Amino acid sequence: MSVSDATTALTEELAARDDMIVCEGVNKWFGDFQALDGITAVIKEREVVVVLGPSGSGKSTWIRCINRLEAHQEGRIVIDGVELTNDLRNIEKIRSEVGMVFQQFNLFPHLTVLDNITMAPIWVRKKPKREAEELARSLLERVGIPEQAEKYPGQLSGGQQQRVAIARALAMEPRIMLFDEPTSALDPEMIKEVLDVMKELALSGMTMMVVTHEMGFAREVADRVIFMEDGQIVETGTPEHFFTNPVEERTKLFLSQIL
Amino acid sequence: MAAPMTEGPDPAALEAWAGDEEQATKPEEPSLSAGEWLSRNLFSSAVNSLLTVVFSLLLVLVLRGLLNFMFSEERTWRAVKTNMRFLFTHAYPQSQYARIWVCIGVIAVLSGLSVGLLARTGGGISMKKLSMNLMAAGALIALGILLREPSAAVGADGRAIHRSGAEARGDSFVDWLDANALTVLGLLVLANVLLAAWFHHRGTYLQVATEPRVAHGVLVLASLGVLIGQQYATGEVVRESFAEAMADRAWWWLAAVVLVGAGAALWAGLGDARRRNTFVPAMYVFFAGAGLMVLSAWVYPWGHYAFLEGEFIAEPGSTVAMTTKLPWTVIWILLVATFELGRAIKGTRVGPRLRVPLNLLWVMTPFVLYWAVLRDPDLDWAHVMSTDIPMAVFFAVFGGLVVWYLAHPRIGETGRVVAVGLLLVAVLNWVAAFFGWYPMLQKARISFLLLAVVAMLAHNFAGDRSQRMKLVAAWVAAMAVFHWLVTLVNSPSTVDTPTDALIGGFGITLIVAVFTLLLSFPLGVLLALARTSKLPIFRVLSTAYIEVFRGVPLITLLFFFTLIFNLFLPQNMTLVDIAGATIGFSLFSAAYLAENVRGGLQAVRRGQYEASDAVGFTTVQRTLFIVLPQALRVSIPPLVGQVIATFKETSLLAVVGIFDFLRIADKVISAQSEFLGVKREGLLFVSFVYWIFAYNMSKYSQRLEKRLGVGER
Repeated sequence: MSVSDATTALTEELAARDDMIVCEGVNKWFGDFQALDGITAVIKEREVVVVLGPSGSGKSTWIRCINRLEAHQEGRIVIDGVELTNDLRNIEKIRSEVGMVFQQFNLFPHLTVLDNITMAPIWVRKKPKREAEELARSLLERVGIPEQAEKYPGQLSGGQQQRVAIARALAMEPRIMLFDEPTSALDPEMIKEVLDVMKELALSGMTMMVVTHEMGFAREVADRVIFMEDGQIVETGTPEHFFTNPVEERTKLFLSQIL
Repeated sequence: MAAPMTEGPDPAALEAWAGDEEQATKPEEPSLSAGEWLSRNLFSSAVNSLLTVVFSLLLVLVLRGLLNFMFSEERTWRAVKTNMRFLFTHAYPQSQYARIWVCIGVIAVLSGLSVGLLARTGGGISMKKLSMNLMAAGALIALGILLREPSAAVGADGRAIHRSGAEARGDSFVDWLDANALTVLGLLVLANVLLAAWFHHRGTYLQVATEPRVAHGVLVLASLGVLIGQQYATGEVVRESFAEAMADRAWWWLAAVVLVGAGAALWAGLGDARRRNTFVPAMYVFFAGAGLMVLSAWVYPWGHYAFLEGEFIAEPGSTVAMTTKLPWTVIWILLVATFELGRAIKGTRVGPRLRVPLNLLWVMTPFVLYWAVLRDPDLDWAHVMSTDIPMAVFFAVFGGLVVWYLAHPRIGETGRVVAVGLLLVAVLNWVAAFFGWYPMLQKARISFLLLAVVAMLAHNFAGDRSQRMKLVAAWVAAMAVFHWLVTLVNSPSTVDTPTDALIGGFGITLIVAVFTLLLSFPLGVLLALARTSKLPIFRVLSTAYIEVFRGVPLITLLFFFTLIFNLFLPQNMTLVDIAGATIGFSLFSAAYLAENVRGGLQAVRRGQYEASDAVGFTTVQRTLFIVLPQALRVSIPPLVGQVIATFKETSLLAVVGIFDFLRIADKVISAQSEFLGVKREGLLFVSFVYWIFAYNMSKYSQRLEKRLGVGER
């Protein structure tokens, strides 16, 4: 089966699924600098998309626009059928559907790990405390650190903190997970433990959008790779296609620099 | 975010690590001997040696001046002793004094419990530090005994012996020393300089040898000798001889010897390792000191001095009056017992659950003590039964239902409509009051407004059944407390005092400071939040407020609220002086607190906001649960600084005519027939008390900072 056949098969299979994230001609400027330039993409249910690109290419800006941490200025972003506008209620709804994991973890340092995870389910999802704690403990089990529940973020290693951050996002039972360079702030020996959790998550059928520099992860787990440069999507394809047979010059140049 | 495995900022975690009495042994530097310590810290180079010599002589001079001032025959410390109750409570009636003791007792119980519950198990003061401090205190007392001027010698008639002018210029060595003290001291300092230069020239200083240290030591002792010897020059009044003076100060010698002896015994009795690694809880040292004071009230002849019903009582030989020493003994026992109780239940299941109620009690205590205990309201029970209680019950039930309804997780848009409706009615009530459309008790208006605000916020705290029950319970409790307080405040007092104010002296200083804190803290936090808000109107209003109140001198605010403000009030309404002053202080202090909190808000990282937004918190939830806890933790040091400043600024009460601590010392005592013009003693005493409180607050803030890990992140 040739690469293009595989791509076609994947496209057909995906077409049957629901659209989770739809971006149409999304533009964003920071002052005079155009960070996003006509981004158009559709991410389907249960799809794992890895966004690659040199730094400053707009990957993070794009992913942050999807849960409105940044506001786009032109174009449409539709999340699970709800369009992101200035309407506060839409933003609240979308944020509770979309989990996000940050490069700097951004755990709440004054709360225990358990409180970090249960806070949002209790106050946003209005879950009873007992239920939220059960959920939190099962999530900590899932990310492999059930024994750290009573500690404070400052007492954990970077890898453990990032896994808590993933558990915190999962506690909201989101339909989509966004990862903004989740391993970039980690020491090399801790990267694997975080990637393993993300792999397990991908296999469980979560819709995921991941900005990362981990080529191994992209190759192994991604359904699709999107390559960005200068705020534009340069090339899209399956990992096989992307890593073995890229079409665009700029993609080839990028791959030659990092591989 | 902190690097991996750094220390967590949380008190509970730190406590868990510091669980053992013996702290983990780390590799330690060997102890320095006293001589080595001196060499390294005070005589490390020629210049440092000279600085040490000159400034220690200055220090001794200041100490001598202070001692001579305090112990001079011209001082009438009796004025302070006699007016002790006056200074602390002004005209609070003696017959009602039990109430004051009850207040102090309540505060002692709360403090003991809180400190016991919060105290870290390990840590405290190391034996080394304790023994060194004991010895230093003893040495300081000994130095003071030597430095102090001897009393005048008394003749057979009981009066000081004077000499004529010719005789006064004595020819003894001491008189010569007195006349030429400046020259001799100058020569001794010059000798120090030459000595330093010589040793420096030889290069001995670099090796930190013994000789320069010893040589400087001899010269410093000689200078000290001059400063002491000078005191025994007689002048016109014949003074005691050295032996007589020392015999007079036997009690002080005893104290010095006991302190040095205890310190030295501790030092010698424990080995170096145990000295460093054995800790006494800091509270035990405090209890021991306080216990000695209380004990001395029973055994030491402090004398009994009082000013009762226009009569001055002076019984120099006796111990302190029973009405003073008995309550203090009971309070000391309460404090120690509750501290131990707190420590005992800290580890049990009850301990952690007590923290929140205890904090609430601390907030409630000032209101209860002032309005219910000190003032003892003369309640009109008919009115309470017919109006106050029904109204409180109505608001509790009606508001409870509203809160229960609005805290439903899926209330959605309907809830907001209901809340806005309530707010409109609440505002209408105030407009109606302004135009006199329909009568309504003021507390009903306030209750309604509170309900509207709670209704607006309710959706942020919505949840399951138990969560909603908690909210309703909180509302009912708030209404009960609020209506009860308003009833108390509006009832006349059964305690009669000759002045407008219920209490005066240090009592009013404390009350104004505490209520200022309670009022200005929430206001300051709100102003800080408004100033960092996204809404321009809030930003502008808050900035304007802060800039105006920081730009106006505090004293003008006080004058405005005590003198002018009443002119703007409706006819049958007046603001008492103390209330006015408290409002003035609060508005002023809030502006400064707001700036401090704003600094803390700016220190919260952007990632914290983003993470809160990403999990879907509303702005109110983000502020309350994530941003404020972190911001307040960072701003503890400047906040405590502001609290100390406010505490000291209460002395301005004296200027607006309230009988506060300072005014009694400055104006009232010096006008008493017995103590006409006696001012200095009172002022010194007042400064000392202010200092004790301010110093302890600042110490406490240092410990708080350490525990909360400020500065570690």
